[in-house]
Amino acid sequence: MRVLTLTWEFPPLFTGGLGMACYGIVKALLRLGIEVDLIIPTKEEVYFPLRKEEDADSLPLSFPDPGKRKKRGGKITIKEILEEGAIVGAYYTTGERVWERIWERIWEEEPLEAYRKSSSLDNLRQLLSGDHFLFQEVRRYTTLAFGIAKQLDFDVIHAHDWLTYPAGILLKEFSGKPLAVHMHATEFDRAGGPGAEGIHHIEYLGISLADRVIAVSGYTANMLAERYRADKRKIRVAHNAFALSGKEKEKKRLFKEITILFLGRITIQKGPDYFLEVARRVLEKEKNVRFIVGGIGDMQRQMLHRSASFAPGTKILFAGFLKREEVEEILRAADIFVMPSVSEPFGIVTLEAMSYGAVAIVSRQSGIVEVVKNVYKVDFWDIDRIVSIILELVSKPEKLREVSRKSVEEAKKFQWEETARKIADVYKEIKER
Amino acid sequence: MLHIILYFQVHQPYRLRPYRALHIGKSHHYFDDELNRSIIDKVSDKCYIPANSILKELIDKFEGRFKVSFSITGTLVEQLRENRPDVLESFRGLVQQGGVELLGETYYHSLSCLFDEEEFLEQVRRHSRLLEEEFGARPVTFRNTELIYSDSISDFVSELPQFRIILTEGADKILKWRAPLYAYKSYNRKHLLLLKYYRLSDDIAFRFSDRSWVEHPLKVDKFVDWITKLPLVEKENKNLYLNLFMDYETFGEHQWSDTGIFEFIRHLPECVLKKDFLSFAWPSEMIDSLNYEPESLSVPEPVSWADTERDLSAWLSNSLQGNAMKTSYDLLERIKERGRSDLLEIARRLSTSDLYYYMCTKYFQDGDVHKYFSPYSSPEDAYVYFINVLADLEKRMEEGT
Repeated sequence: MRVLTLTWEFPPLFTGGLGMACYGIVKALLRLGIEVDLIIPTKEEVYFPLRKEEDADSLPLSFPDPGKRKKRGGKITIKEILEEGAIVGAYYTTGERVWERIWERIWEEEPLEAYRKSSSLDNLRQLLSGDHFLFQEVRRYTTLAFGIAKQLDFDVIHAHDWLTYPAGILLKEFSGKPLAVHMHATEFDRAGGPGAEGIHHIEYLGISLADRVIAVSGYTANMLAERYRADKRKIRVAHNAFALSGKEKEKKRLFKEITILFLGRITIQKGPDYFLEVARRVLEKEKNVRFIVGGIGDMQRQMLHRSASFAPGTKILFAGFLKREEVEEILRAADIFVMPSVSEPFGIVTLEAMSYGAVAIVSRQSGIVEVVKNVYKVDFWDIDRIVSIILELVSKPEKLREVSRKSVEEAKKFQWEETARKIADVYKEIKER
Repeated sequence: MLHIILYFQVHQPYRLRPYRALHIGKSHHYFDDELNRSIIDKVSDKCYIPANSILKELIDKFEGRFKVSFSITGTLVEQLRENRPDVLESFRGLVQQGGVELLGETYYHSLSCLFDEEEFLEQVRRHSRLLEEEFGARPVTFRNTELIYSDSISDFVSELPQFRIILTEGADKILKWRAPLYAYKSYNRKHLLLLKYYRLSDDIAFRFSDRSWVEHPLKVDKFVDWITKLPLVEKENKNLYLNLFMDYETFGEHQWSDTGIFEFIRHLPECVLKKDFLSFAWPSEMIDSLNYEPESLSVPEPVSWADTERDLSAWLSNSLQGNAMKTSYDLLERIKERGRSDLLEIARRLSTSDLYYYMCTKYFQDGDVHKYFSPYSSPEDAYVYFINVLADLEKRMEEGT
């Protein structure tokens, strides 16, 4: 079995939540013996043929164009390329004409096919013709992936999040291979309600034209059924997991006070405003606490001003953008982790916080609550309840320790293998159809 | 007689480095030594050295008839001592030459007057000691940070009887129908007040190189002509004071050398001294030259020389500044209570007004003067680094480390 994996992020390039999830999944798939051809947004026409587990870390790359392959030599890895400073990281920059050419090429090579498929493809083409920066980037990626994948041999296509759906749809249409689209987050989650129309359309097209839709939680599966009227029979849930990366796990305090952490993008989806309101209310009653906001985002300026207006002294700190090691450092310092997301498809960060012994208080509007027991589950808007949980934990250190210990234990149970097995089942189903 | 009083503010703060939350507890290195050193170097070469040499020449040439006054802060003197002793020597030379009056202020160019009278007085005393040690000077004229003044500041300063005169801004809202050219007295009649003539001061300090200004380029003849046309008809022969107050960095730093600012100051004295009813004076000389009983001015709300509002809003108008200032002054007080003299110096450096000025959001979007002065990319960054430093300092105080 060989899968063509399309994703926007993959470490060490673009290591957001999506990248970390794709890494966990791909690595576990390789362990199951499934081969992966990976295409990410690169400047040159390259792909990553991953055949064994270690390849997920070394990322050997290949040029589908035999001429270029020869010129570059046989075995080259992403790390070497990065050290050369040559490519990858900046997106494909050839510009608009390439996008037009791809359509011309489709028409020339397969005029009848193209004619037959023209309605859904035209729809997609129109959606992507906007001037917005993001749509231009998606256009470039689609062009890149189409050009590369036409020269590859694979059994199924797996596209992660809407940015790669256009490529997935096109490749399914022209290769005849089955397509699974993976929903890590919908536009409804990101926008905290209805978001950009074009993105909704692309998500809808992806769901409609794919053979299977993989959702990261039951929460997301329901959302797809309710909001996009997705055919429930097509949806499979494969909960995320997480893999321990840092070696040092034991607590290392930064402050003597109970440290309460928000960790994520400072954007409406993640509910940073609820976190600050909680902080304000807790600080009115309790001095033995310290709040840290880790991350950056479009609401950070607003949040900073709001927090200062509480006159909290040094009790609310903003840690800014955190590198991977710094995330680990701050998790080691946290006693309580709060994820007040307005809508969270899964919320891997909760598992991570638990593994570092932070007691988690998480939004019920999330996927994570379906799979964990030893967390406090709250409605994101229920500030009263979050405040009273924090005050209770602060006043009962033995309880804090007990829940912390259970959290560490529970987090150990999560493995990407289980996620990968469910995904492998999906591949098998659609391949055999 | 119209006495022209030139006063130049000479100050540089200790700027903070980008101190992140994760530095707390690990690094006590708060100040951006490299940046501070490079700014001291730049300003020394562009302004202090060339401007001092011009003043020296003018004081010699006019044999005591050209006079200037300086307010030099403790934070600058320290940094010059450390990085540019040649510049400190050049200021010392000017003072010894006899053409300069040195004014008293807070050592740290701080806003302590707003929070803590005791701390304010202590910082002023410390500054006076510094002037005595470094320059052998004993100030009798006081000017507060950024010319901030209110009735209560006169009350505070009256604890230090050596000060007889206070300089402040000739803000319209306190002068109303009155002219800034007269001498005034504080509401309690304990201090003589000299008020900045902001229009003519700012013509030099801000508008000098502004090509869109109708009066550009500003030549000395024209400027002195404006002075002679001020409403000088003073039937009772009262002595008047034209107070031109500005940052010393105006010369060569805010206004670059190629704008002609050095030529302007070089030719100002000869043009002024050609007129028999104009002279240069030091602030302290008004004690003797005053030939009438000045009116009292009541200033219940603080005024300053900053921005068009001429109030405290440059340092204290948004929540970032509010939290930063309150937290910092509270901490300073607690550090004193606990007798942590090792941390006190740092806490005092954090009282410097510039650090709050960087957090101002009033004009930030328009890229105004605040942006010009700020070493940070945004007021929010300035706030975050500041609060993080306070958090570390507070931790050290509490943990006794």
